[in-house]
Amino acid sequence: MLRLPTVGRALAGAAKSSLAPSNTVRTSVRAASNMVEVFVDGKPLEVEPGTTVLQACEKAGIQIPRFCYHERLSVAGNCRMCLVEIERAPKPVAACAMPVMKGWNILTNSEKTRKAREGVMEFLLANHPLDCPICDQGGECDLQDQSMQFGSDRSRFTEGKRAVEDKNIGPLIKTIMTRCIQCTRCVRFASEIAGVEDLGTTGRGNNLQIGTYVEKMFMSELSGNVIDVCPVGALTSKPYAFTARPWETRKTESIDVLDAVGSNIMVSTRGGEVMRVMPRLNEDINEEWISDKTRFAYDGLKRQRLAQPMVKDDSGQLTPTTWEDALTRVAGALQSVQGSEVAAIAGGMADAETLVSLKDLLNRLNSENLCTEELFPMAGAGTDLRSNYLLNSRIAGIEDCDLLLLVGTNPRYEAPLFNARIRKSWLHNELRVAMVGHSVDLSFSYDHLGEETSVLKELANGTHPFCQVLSAAKRPVVVVGSSALQREDGAAIMRAVSTIAQNARTSSGVEERWKVLNVLHRVASQVAALDLGYKAGVDAIRAAPPKVLFLLGADAGCITRADLPEDSLIIYQGHHGDVGAPMADIILPGAAYTEKNATYVNTEGRSQQTRTAVTAPGMAREDWKIIRAVSELAGVTLPYDSVEGVRCRLAEVSPNLVRYDDVEEANYFKQANELAQAVNQDLLAAPLVPPQLTAKDFYMTDSISRASQTMAKCVKAVTEGAAAVDEPSVC
Amino acid sequence: MASAATRVAAGAAKVVKPIFSRDVDEAKRRARELYRAWYREVPNTVATFQLDITARQGRDKVREMFNKNKHISDPRVIDMLVIKGKMELEETIHVWKQKTHVMRYFQETEEPRANDFLSKFYGGHDP
Amino acid sequence: MFLSAAVRSAVSQTVRSLHRSAARAGAGGIFVHRDTPDNNSDTPFDFTEENKKRIEAIISMYPVGHKQAATIPVLDLAQRQHGWLPISAMNKVAEVLEIAPMRVYEVATFYTMFLRQPVGKYFIQICTTTPCMLCNSDSILEAIQNKLGIKVGETTPDKMFTLIEVECLGACVNAPMVQINDNYYEDLSPKDIEDIIDELKAGRIPPPGPRNGRFSCEPAGGLTSLTEPPKGPGFGVRPDL
Repeated sequence: MLRLPTVGRALAGAAKSSLAPSNTVRTSVRAASNMVEVFVDGKPLEVEPGTTVLQACEKAGIQIPRFCYHERLSVAGNCRMCLVEIERAPKPVAACAMPVMKGWNILTNSEKTRKAREGVMEFLLANHPLDCPICDQGGECDLQDQSMQFGSDRSRFTEGKRAVEDKNIGPLIKTIMTRCIQCTRCVRFASEIAGVEDLGTTGRGNNLQIGTYVEKMFMSELSGNVIDVCPVGALTSKPYAFTARPWETRKTESIDVLDAVGSNIMVSTRGGEVMRVMPRLNEDINEEWISDKTRFAYDGLKRQRLAQPMVKDDSGQLTPTTWEDALTRVAGALQSVQGSEVAAIAGGMADAETLVSLKDLLNRLNSENLCTEELFPMAGAGTDLRSNYLLNSRIAGIEDCDLLLLVGTNPRYEAPLFNARIRKSWLHNELRVAMVGHSVDLSFSYDHLGEETSVLKELANGTHPFCQVLSAAKRPVVVVGSSALQREDGAAIMRAVSTIAQNARTSSGVEERWKVLNVLHRVASQVAALDLGYKAGVDAIRAAPPKVLFLLGADAGCITRADLPEDSLIIYQGHHGDVGAPMADIILPGAAYTEKNATYVNTEGRSQQTRTAVTAPGMAREDWKIIRAVSELAGVTLPYDSVEGVRCRLAEVSPNLVRYDDVEEANYFKQANELAQAVNQDLLAAPLVPPQLTAKDFYMTDSISRASQTMAKCVKAVTEGAAAVDEPSVC
Repeated sequence: MASAATRVAAGAAKVVKPIFSRDVDEAKRRARELYRAWYREVPNTVATFQLDITARQGRDKVREMFNKNKHISDPRVIDMLVIKGKMELEETIHVWKQKTHVMRYFQETEEPRANDFLSKFYGGHDP
Repeated sequence: MFLSAAVRSAVSQTVRSLHRSAARAGAGGIFVHRDTPDNNSDTPFDFTEENKKRIEAIISMYPVGHKQAATIPVLDLAQRQHGWLPISAMNKVAEVLEIAPMRVYEVATFYTMFLRQPVGKYFIQICTTTPCMLCNSDSILEAIQNKLGIKVGETTPDKMFTLIEVECLGACVNAPMVQINDNYYEDLSPKDIEDIIDELKAGRIPPPGPRNGRFSCEPAGGLTSLTEPPKGPGFGVRPDL
């Protein structure tokens, strides 16, 4: 059964209107017996009580035209486009806001309905400029499509049109407010989904306009979604402005790798260039939203790219060379050292195929020195039990929990879509959120328990006052941020958190399948790397510096030249000349996530694949192929030379990596907790402060977003105000 | 009536109608006739197309191309090839072809695709 | 050369300004905020102790968790205290009610009685809608303009009077009329309005109501019905009851 949209309570405090379908969610449980029979164009249909006319028609397979109605937002009912005739009703009704009654016959294509639509469309077009040729929404505009389908073929309007001043709401969203039809979708998105009440309607009547009233940036990490939500061209993308038309672009379904959520995206390309990134529906992960970094950092894919192999010449300069030369040098270096003298570090955007080939290569060279940049406490159960490092409850699982304890994380900027899910649950399901760690603005209210680690200790041994709430919870969830586990006392924090989770599980008496302990990662590669047996953290490398170091897109800068012996050789394979490339002796240009078919596993442990949208620039190659080529030259040929072959190997190592869109359940929490108890480490006094505290920390976190001009503008706009990055508008 | 070769070509012992020739000898005769026709035409072709080759080189090429198919013993296949050869000849005689089409016999433009991983890797993005 | 550049810039200025909201003198004004020296987020505004008590009383009228419902009365309180509503006052109201400032701006821009531009001490709103116009409200308007030396939408230099033209105020029976702050002055003649302004200038508040001597909105030409005293109980009832 389809999950009915949560149009119910618009806001926590809003009074329930008897007209709005406020009880759809709740009634669906016990509705089986008392279904209402309605007719759509004469065809009988059983729906649940409280279903709106529009939803009933949708169920019957008929789409009612609409502008203001959006299934993930509250019902406004102000555009009137969804007027339909109900048989024997005196007037047409607004389908989006009217619950069906028994025996109604909804006429979706009657004379009266068509006339009502045509009339509404004529009014909407009275003030809408006819500038479709210069409008970026052209081709994907609801107003354009619906006026073609339902509007009149001529205009009777001879008066002047209203003009509205454009607003500057930041470097991401371009506003052409004259085009606005006041559907208020953006206002509702901002206040309901994003939790930033910056947008609103000012004025009244003909002068009603959407805006911020004061000069202000629309500062939300989800702000880009208002572009998709806007049915007309009033809110469009600033970076995408005047660059492409939707019918000229090729769309490739892919996965975002700029955070660990793994949002589903659609990459629009034209002529080998990424024109924009849009969200793709996935109810389990990102619904239909994506974060601003996901949406707008794509211009970083065109800058700072490594496009040809490079080697350091005698003068210490990196000079371009051929693949043959670079690979021969790499192979020579690998052959000339003993097993443990070669090591590899995987960065945050490495895909599973490359990770497994690199591991196979190094294992064939008798080296086990493979690690990830991101730390994870290896004491106790470490990464041996999968449940220890996954977001076990899943992102959608947050909607079922009733108490959420966040430890040392700022989900709003570390995983914006996860935060949006928490906000959704907080808004609609009375979710109670508590937080141990630095106090940050999460777009919803929470109990701040303090930022000291002593709070964790008290929570673990049950002396903290909040323990009562925790033990009263029916379905508790504890989420610990990966940054908290990367402190020196990470293992002790893991021990405390695991104990809190275990205690909460016992006291709640929740069923065995319910997961309490969760880790929220920040980089896309981490779960796959740990699944494949990479060691978390570079401590081993620091302890025993290798002669040859292979950096696989390692751009966090956790190993520098100073950590290694003088004569050591650093090989960097990656797509951006960021932190890792300058210190390398040999650079092998790889492909970014839009340029390869690759597997990524998100923080839930869900494997998904990106698809090739454009070819890699210059001489860059798909990453696993580079390693496969190196292996052949080094005399330890890897036994696969197609992506299917690599995936067979992935399946051998860890079958869940190729079960796409499926989450492999992890368990053994109790055992993990017991193992964690054995950890002999004390909590440090330092407060738990996640690395991303405010919006300005959000935009530039990895090599792609650091190369993006758009993201740089965002940082500037956040720090200096939207006016600082104001560009003269073209039209 | 059907020859052994025909039966093989027909698969499941089904008697099929020959194209032109009833047996291999007849097919070979047709092939010889075609060869002769080409042999005679080569000097004219060199002249009309103003090719930068001698007639001898042209005739060698004709011989080479006939030799390429000399292992074929099925009269139906031979007939088919003869028909194609006649079409080529007609197009050449009537100058329906252009110079490049004729010279294509002398140059193999397609490079053989590499099969091993490394040369595919060096070769390009999507080997 | 210089002149032509100036002309060009002036022309381009006018072209650009087409895209800006026209700042009209009417009750609506413009629906975006622009910082001015006397109206910006730093304009000092705080509720007086007395008003803080009133706010508490107002909020207590609404259920817990529905402080937002008090937006209109608290905004009104702020306007009465300050004379008009600077942006800082709206922010203060949002702070007091614990709602987003945007929600307050929405309300304040919706209602024309919330004044988002500074006005004089006496805010004269003259009705010029049809019934008043038929009763010669134009002469009243002219009288005010001549008396105060300001045009519609302007404030006197001493910040005492602001004059605006409004649509129907619902006192058509007593046309023509003006509203000065909270008071209706009705059945005006040009002389009446001059007297009223003189009184105000002298610091006195003239009594509101009709100026032609009739009581409230009773018929101008005297009563035509119900002229006799009302009959007692039992009037017109069947005698056997």
